[in-house]
Amino acid sequence: MRAKSSLASMGVDRMERQPLIRAEDVSFQYKGDLGEKVIPALNQIRLDIYPGEYVAIIGRNGSGKSTLSKHFNGILQPSRGDVWVDGWNTKEKSRLQEIRKKVGMVFQNPDNQIIATTVEDDVAFGLENIQVPPEEMDERIDAALRLAGLSSMRRRAPYHLSEGQKQRLAIAGVIAMRPACLVLDEATSRLDTYGRRELLRVIRRLNEGGMAIVTVTHHMSEAAEADRVIVLDEGSIVLQGPPREVFQKQAFLQERQLDVPAASRIAGMVHERCPSFRPDLIDSDEVAGEVRRLIGEGEK
Amino acid sequence: MTRFEWSRKITIGHYIPIDSIIHRLDSSCKLLGFTVLIVAIAFCNSYFGNVLFFTFALFLFVLSRLPIRYGLSGIKPAIPFMVILAVLQLLFYGGGVTASGTVYIHYSFLLITSDSVRLVVVSAMRFVEIILVSSVLTLSTPETELMHGMERLLKPLKYIRFPVHQFSLIIMIAVRFVPTFAMEMEKLMKAQASRGAAFGTGRWWQIIRRTKDMFPLMIPLFRSAMARADDLVLAMECRCFVPGQSRTTYRRGKARSRDFSFLLIIIGFSLFALFYPFPG
Repeated sequence: MRAKSSLASMGVDRMERQPLIRAEDVSFQYKGDLGEKVIPALNQIRLDIYPGEYVAIIGRNGSGKSTLSKHFNGILQPSRGDVWVDGWNTKEKSRLQEIRKKVGMVFQNPDNQIIATTVEDDVAFGLENIQVPPEEMDERIDAALRLAGLSSMRRRAPYHLSEGQKQRLAIAGVIAMRPACLVLDEATSRLDTYGRRELLRVIRRLNEGGMAIVTVTHHMSEAAEADRVIVLDEGSIVLQGPPREVFQKQAFLQERQLDVPAASRIAGMVHERCPSFRPDLIDSDEVAGEVRRLIGEGEK
Repeated sequence: MTRFEWSRKITIGHYIPIDSIIHRLDSSCKLLGFTVLIVAIAFCNSYFGNVLFFTFALFLFVLSRLPIRYGLSGIKPAIPFMVILAVLQLLFYGGGVTASGTVYIHYSFLLITSDSVRLVVVSAMRFVEIILVSSVLTLSTPETELMHGMERLLKPLKYIRFPVHQFSLIIMIAVRFVPTFAMEMEKLMKAQASRGAAFGTGRWWQIIRRTKDMFPLMIPLFRSAMARADDLVLAMECRCFVPGQSRTTYRRGKARSRDFSFLLIIIGFSLFALFYPFPG
């Protein structure tokens, strides 16, 4: 398991560093047709995302998490408030290309994101758009495919790839452009267990390499991997913090129809019966470690 | 349920990866050469010229080391069409144009002359030749290469403001989505069949019935195509695509003297077979 950066060090980092993405009182509403009542999708969101940070956004369907993530690279512009990416306002149309170079985005269905007939051509697509010189492309394509674990597939046609491989190809196409942040909008929701595990491994590797990750997800075990979890409900941030703290608040989350990772639930249940068992565990390895510790104590 | 398994049958071109002179040719030269050849065949009216083109088509199969049965299998589905065409030409051509050549049969509106017989034979040969030649092209070139070849050939058109890059992007996306939609179609057919729709039960002559069978597939297929297009636009924009903005190109052509000599040979041969005054 990856060592989580401790709260204290994160706090220090935040004060020192400039945020990569800053949302200032962002409100957004979709334009209603035929005089329908317009429901705000986002309500006064205030949020900073720092370079190299790993953030998970959770919330039930319709809570506004996808809408929020689409603000991070200017696909959507706030109805009120501003989003700044590396100091540029996403409302400035002339800066959109720079902003999208900084913040890459991967969506749910990999089939709808791949545009070329071979893997390498697809990775090249973004590079062609940002006018990378052709001599440099091979190297960048190599690096991106290596990171995504697709080096051996370079000349394959996308329809010969598995769903998980396709999604990693979509990621490779984005990271070849060397963004500072990768936003994943429910990118794992169509994948099987193996595909998801491989994808998470790639994401972790990218984050370790210094790329900021923002992942919108329904899977609590995925959110548990992040440095910070943001809980959205009805367009507002209702809770945020390190996963260990967030997943302690089971009752609060359940009110909002959200689950906690199975490991947290088990730890909470055991803690009720046996107070010396730590309640703030977030994955099965930690639970196993805690059980081992208690057995060890019992034997002494 | 083999009649549902579309995606296994649909692939454009059926590229066969072997190493041969033809496979190694630069795709834009190859595309241009084969286009010249096909146009020349379409205009060739003499028996002798067509025999030459036919031999040349077979020779291309040998050169490309492709099994000839792949070319022949392409002819099979065209046979009914060829037969209908031949009958029509045989029965109705003679009277239509200034009758020349020897008259074989003349009975009421029926007029069969040596010219109409030649037309029938020559059209059938042209058909076969074009199928053979184009299968050499598609069997020996991956579809991606074909597209890049086309893009390079069209490049000069940008001087008359033809949007070459966008055009080739459209073609690329269309080709890319063929297997996706084939798969989708398969899924829809299975879904509709599991709710009692009858596919493929109509006989081949029941054209109207077979067309009607397709209606419950068309609407969902269109709907999903629209949804996919929406997503695709978003994904393309996220990767900094701006229509009309200049881009660099990953694939660069590298035509060598070998490719140009291939082109010259094709052009020379085509001119010879077309214009040499063969006897008969």
